[in-house]
Amino acid sequence: MIGQMLDIVTTAAILYAVATGLLLVFGVMKIINFAHGGLMTLGGYAALVTTQAGLNPWLAIPAAALFGGVVGMGIERFVVRPLYNRPLDAILATWGLSIIIGQLITIAFGRGVQFAASPLNGTLDLFGESYSAYRLALVGIAAVLGIALTALLQGTRLGLETRAVIMNEDLARGLGINSGLVRFLTFTLGSALAGVAGALITPLSSVDPGMGVPWLVNAFMLVLVSGASLLSLLFACLVLGGAQVLVATHFSPVLGGLTIAVLAAVILRIRPKGFARD
Amino acid sequence: MTEARRLSLILAVALAALAAIFAGPYVLDTYSVNVLTRSLLYAAVALTVDLLWGFLGILTFGQSVFFACGAYAAGLVFTHMDFSTSNAFLALGLGVGGALLVAAIVGWLAFWHGASALYASVITLVLPIVATQLLYSGGTFTGSSSGLSGFMSFDLSMEAWFWLSGSFLVGVTTLAYIFVKSDAGRLLVAVRENEQRCKYLGLDTSRLKILVYLACAAIAAVAGYIYAGYAMVVAPELAGFVFGTELVIWTALGGRGTLLGPVFGALIVDYESAQLAGDYPFVWQLIIGTLFVLVIVAFPRGLLPVVFDVPRKLLGLLRPRTAAPATSVTLSTLDPASTQGVEPGDGPALAVADVVKRFGSLTVLEGIDFEARAGELVSLVGPNGAGKTTLMRCIADGAERSAGTIKVNGYDIGRKPPEACVALGVGRKFQMANVFETLTVAQCLQIARVRHARPSLWRRASDLPLPEAAMHVLATTGLDRQLATPAHLLSHGMKQALELSMVLALEPRVLLLDEPTAGLTKTERMQIGAILIDLAKKQGLCVLLVEHDLDFVREISSRVIVLHQGRIVLDGSVEEVVASELVKQVYAGSGHAGIDHETAPTPSQEMPA
Amino acid sequence: MSALSVENLSSGYAGAVVLREVSLALAPGEILAVLGKNGMGKSTLLKAVMGFLPKMTGTVAISGSEATRLSPHRVARLGVGYVAQEKALFQDMSVEENLRLAIRRPDFEAALAEVEASFPFLLQRLKQRAGTLSGGEQKMLLMARSLATGAKLLLVDEITEGLQPSVIDRLAGVIRSARERHGTTMLLVEQHLPFALAVADRWAVLDRGEFAETGATSEPDSRARVLKHLSV
Repeated sequence: MIGQMLDIVTTAAILYAVATGLLLVFGVMKIINFAHGGLMTLGGYAALVTTQAGLNPWLAIPAAALFGGVVGMGIERFVVRPLYNRPLDAILATWGLSIIIGQLITIAFGRGVQFAASPLNGTLDLFGESYSAYRLALVGIAAVLGIALTALLQGTRLGLETRAVIMNEDLARGLGINSGLVRFLTFTLGSALAGVAGALITPLSSVDPGMGVPWLVNAFMLVLVSGASLLSLLFACLVLGGAQVLVATHFSPVLGGLTIAVLAAVILRIRPKGFARD
Repeated sequence: MTEARRLSLILAVALAALAAIFAGPYVLDTYSVNVLTRSLLYAAVALTVDLLWGFLGILTFGQSVFFACGAYAAGLVFTHMDFSTSNAFLALGLGVGGALLVAAIVGWLAFWHGASALYASVITLVLPIVATQLLYSGGTFTGSSSGLSGFMSFDLSMEAWFWLSGSFLVGVTTLAYIFVKSDAGRLLVAVRENEQRCKYLGLDTSRLKILVYLACAAIAAVAGYIYAGYAMVVAPELAGFVFGTELVIWTALGGRGTLLGPVFGALIVDYESAQLAGDYPFVWQLIIGTLFVLVIVAFPRGLLPVVFDVPRKLLGLLRPRTAAPATSVTLSTLDPASTQGVEPGDGPALAVADVVKRFGSLTVLEGIDFEARAGELVSLVGPNGAGKTTLMRCIADGAERSAGTIKVNGYDIGRKPPEACVALGVGRKFQMANVFETLTVAQCLQIARVRHARPSLWRRASDLPLPEAAMHVLATTGLDRQLATPAHLLSHGMKQALELSMVLALEPRVLLLDEPTAGLTKTERMQIGAILIDLAKKQGLCVLLVEHDLDFVREISSRVIVLHQGRIVLDGSVEEVVASELVKQVYAGSGHAGIDHETAPTPSQEMPA
Repeated sequence: MSALSVENLSSGYAGAVVLREVSLALAPGEILAVLGKNGMGKSTLLKAVMGFLPKMTGTVAISGSEATRLSPHRVARLGVGYVAQEKALFQDMSVEENLRLAIRRPDFEAALAEVEASFPFLLQRLKQRAGTLSGGEQKMLLMARSLATGAKLLLVDEITEGLQPSVIDRLAGVIRSARERHGTTMLLVEQHLPFALAVADRWAVLDRGEFAETGATSEPDSRARVLKHLSV
């Protein structure tokens, strides 16, 4: 019972960390960034390089953010910006970028599965249950991410302007807000977060050129049911992630893997706004 | 070009393609024949992606699932039940039937009234993920991750498989080509371009999308069935997201909306992949990925149009372009006896009773109560935000109002969607001219007639019978001389006239017009005015008109309803309204009847929250 | 030098020209009311000046700075405050956030003092969600926001729409005092004739995208001349 609760909480935390970057980009730019999976892969390899170089595994996180962010800048400038008025094409183009990133990584690192060192090993005793220390640490990291992003959005001028662009871009522009700059910064931040997410999941799984793709669809569905709110994303991660854990343990792991996508599709059919307010 | 010549030309090209397929095994090496057999089948699936995405506007990532449906049906039946002729038919039936069932479920989920394009794409994206997982979890039944292999299949030579696949591709491509160029096929483009207008022309667009989706699923399933028979191996990757997106990539590279582009895109890329994958697998994928991004950003129409445009431009330099061929469509007037539209029920043409419309806590319409008879021309006036357009919307779409009843021709519209309201006799013209921009005048009118005259799936009609009212508008405005002009080249006034004729082609009993004269010149306004009077007087239509120009209202209306802040403040003759002091104040002061213009600041006053 | 100079401006939406070669010039501190029926191009004029709609012909200059090709945020930063007719507030943000977004000057407190002078009640409502204000209060917040930015030129689209007479009176008072104290130039698109004639120096009637008639509000027959264009 306790183990299952911990599974639900840690799964939700991982999903939250993976989906925040996508949510930010979706909120501001109204496009789904399919390169998110590729950027996660990039972050995973950044972690691999960091640990293979003998550096502290925690350094993988800023390194992944840097890689993701820089590549994100290029993507925004040269691919996403020209497709501003063609949102479905933006999905396709970012998916193409995901392919490009995957193939470049394959050429550089080979196709094989590799393993990055985990910053935390072993287990912790919690409520009489012995549980993976790293998974527990992820809950803390996801919380820090969520709080930091909320602070950024609620407490800074840039955050205020970003929220303004999310709510009503034309009105924001009329008030002197450079929405193009806001979009650029958001996409960069979203890409950096994708890199971080990739680095965070590497100790849980392996590193390979296609590692980001399986996460992409779940993250994408979570974002669609959450609208543009970090809070409803948290809710969605807990509900849908929880459902995934329950289905996986009580029925079959395979069905568990489908839970988020199928539930989200049904939720959106019944309530097109998903968990978002209004 | 006559219809018969056009169709024979298509068939001639198809025959030439068949001849090329037949010659294939004699000129190609064994390896190429082997690879191309697969590519030919993939191309048939890419064709269905193009029908859905390029023509109907539904970006789909899930066509791989239907391919896998056909393939797995063959694999499962031949593995678990042995191969026999009857089992072969059983497998084909199961494959196609299964694909249709899945497509029906997906269609119900994705194409309901009001679903967004993004949501539909999302559903098609979830589909392959669900399908692969189910195949993985099927244990020995589906062969899990390694799939099924080693089953018996049709005893055909490699050449025969090539011919079968090739003929199948040529067959479906030809049929698809004839279909998209036919009168019925044009509906696909119309739905993609302006789904709202289609609904208000009485077309059930959800049903159309589901039908096309079902047909595409069946084609993909047959391709998959042939694939399994020839390859004698099926694997979960066939249903996968990666294959689903590859199909989209081939379609985009070849050129969406061209049919031949995606077919050649699939053939070339898949064939080259097989050739190069051995030597430079990752570099090749990288090139395809880069090319794909480049095409999406810079050449959204794909490469086929680019390839065709270059020689056409070069030729254009040499000789002047010949004028566009005259339209082959001729107009005729329907017998008025057969254009009465819906049988009138009891009572007035339009009865609005106690209609309320709220947006959240905001009440936009309240206690709207009036009736209008056939032959009446009622103008709806009132300042901005009075609720005029909202009222029109409530009459044309049963789902709009918050409370109250609306009867058209004595039939309660209930909660019916716009297309069902059209069937009851409602015709709505929008405020901004709302036509199909890329279609010609004649084509726009044909689509407006689809509700009455079922369009052919393979032919293009050469005559277009229209009700007298629509003909009258066309003749008065001179649109009947511009039948071959694409709608986006028309002037604003001509677009308004075209939309009016389209709505009249529906044979409505109740005509809703939202500012039909906005942006028109003086002459055009007079023409429209005369037409409207004629429609009401001679054709017996009940016309409800939103209008700001009170001069215009005075000229044409028999009766005026003044709306203000969501309520009817006056319902009377034109003279009464013109003489009304209240109406003057409503207009002059945005409704603050009686306030003095000697305004003085009174900062002490606090507004209640 | 004109605070706003528009020459031969045409604009509209895809395929439909709504505004046809319109010219106007506003002296610093001048208030012009643009009147006319719906669909005659009044809102289009403001949106085109702001850069929200394409300029098919013509030029726009703001206090001598060329502004024809600028995007809306650059126009706003030239000291232009735009109050749209609809959706002009961030409904889900607090009153304070709505003010902060518009007020770019560093001394937010001084700007708040400005707000307090005209609409003291807003200071008590800073944390309230803008969407929960009444219609009149929202319009007052809009006015307060654009005045507190220190904008030199205000483009205001039907601020009086749907308001009670007392609120309209109050807005009129605030507009006049803002002009007196800061010399703010204003272009008001209005349907409310008494309000327009009370606050503006000049009026102009737009009819099918062109100025049909203009005059000074001091001329005694203004009301009759405008009404002739407006209604029956």
